[in-house]
Amino acid sequence: MSTKKEFNFTKAFEELETIMQWFEKEEVDLDEGLKKFERGLELAKACKDTLAEVENKVEKIKLKFGESH
Amino acid sequence: MPEAVLRVSEFLQLTNEVLRQNIMPNAFAIEGEISGFTLKDGKWIIFSLKDEVEPNVKLKCFATSFKVTGAFEDGMKVRVWGVPSVKTWSDFQLTVERMEAVGEGALKRAYEALKKKLELEGMLDISRKRDLPRFPQRIGLITSSDAAAYGDFLRILNNRWGGVVVEHANVRVQGKDAVEQILAAFEAFNKSTSRPQVDITRPCDVIVLTRGGGSIEDLHAFNDEMVVRAVYASKIPVVCGVGHERDESLCDYVADVRASTPSNAAERVVPSREEVLFEIEMIERVMDERFCAIVNEKKTVLENFARLMTHQVHRQKLRLETLIQTLGDRATRWITTLKTGVDSSSRLLANLDPTRILSRGYAIATSGGRVVKDASSLEVGASIKVRLSHGSFDSEVKQLER
Repeated sequence: MSTKKEFNFTKAFEELETIMQWFEKEEVDLDEGLKKFERGLELAKACKDTLAEVENKVEKIKLKFGESH
Repeated sequence: MPEAVLRVSEFLQLTNEVLRQNIMPNAFAIEGEISGFTLKDGKWIIFSLKDEVEPNVKLKCFATSFKVTGAFEDGMKVRVWGVPSVKTWSDFQLTVERMEAVGEGALKRAYEALKKKLELEGMLDISRKRDLPRFPQRIGLITSSDAAAYGDFLRILNNRWGGVVVEHANVRVQGKDAVEQILAAFEAFNKSTSRPQVDITRPCDVIVLTRGGGSIEDLHAFNDEMVVRAVYASKIPVVCGVGHERDESLCDYVADVRASTPSNAAERVVPSREEVLFEIEMIERVMDERFCAIVNEKKTVLENFARLMTHQVHRQKLRLETLIQTLGDRATRWITTLKTGVDSSSRLLANLDPTRILSRGYAIATSGGRVVKDASSLEVGASIKVRLSHGSFDSEVKQLER
């Protein structure tokens, strides 16, 4: 499995939203702001890269039916 | 040939044996109209099936509510499948194994009756609808791969989003096997771990039950009580999308999300790539703006501080200058005062100067370097030095007058 597969889009997107909310606070610290800003850019890029994935995979599942057919 | 003599119960047993061997259950569907429908203790269903052409011909039917689900009522046209037998209480009856409403009118009545029943049970309540995961990773798809719905769903899914695994349970969506297969699919998705014959490794985030439009007969599986209950009982949220916009099924009502079509089902389960991209870009922009604003804010604070400091230094400088000025002024005034003081002192001193008295004609007599103030301190013949205003002379005492 590639690292890309293990990337959790939901978590990344939620973290990105949390960072945005953090930035929308009244008082923010510059040092922390720089860290969050960099992390945000990193997450945004990772999310955008994932969006570039075109394919969905279809897997057939086998069902076991009763004896009526 | 001797006649065999049987007891009544033995005869009935024989008759039932003959019936069982000759009329296989499910071999025939018997069509008729329900009359005298009663449900006893919520378990036992008793009714008569009336011949449509000859209303006096009736078949007594018995069923359990476990086998026969759905809502039925008098006057409804149905088909039944079952085992005929003569009971010891001498009634001929059919033990019903399966029963279905027949014809549009009866199906609609069955539909409405079942809907009412589900409503009373609270199964259609909005409050129990669950939210779908925002970004699903595994989708359980229950539909027929032969149906247009299958293609439509996957096409829209691929257009909108990527990186999803679709677990497809290929089932009949109409016909007599549809109900059983859809139930099996729900069971598989919900009990993936406890059924080793089902190769689902991880549970799905959402189940999509979909099919194209059709007549009420075509949609029967989606209005089947057991299927409806399976949708309702699913631990995984269910999106139901049946037919065209107009079509509705009871599954739609109990599902967590009702989609109007198979394409709409895809739209409901995954977000659109463009929208999410837009959202990410907006977050980036907000973050960027805010961060710049913070930096600027800090910069302004620094600038203000610098300005304040410059101002302070300037003020101190001014104060110093004023101080020096004041000091200068004071000093000048002080020197003048001092000078006046010195002048008057000099004048005073000048007044006290003994030489000035001499100029007025006085003389200072000294003897042996001491000023002579008393004539008795002198002896006749002592040498006296007399100082005048201009010059001096030496003299000798000739006579003393004391």
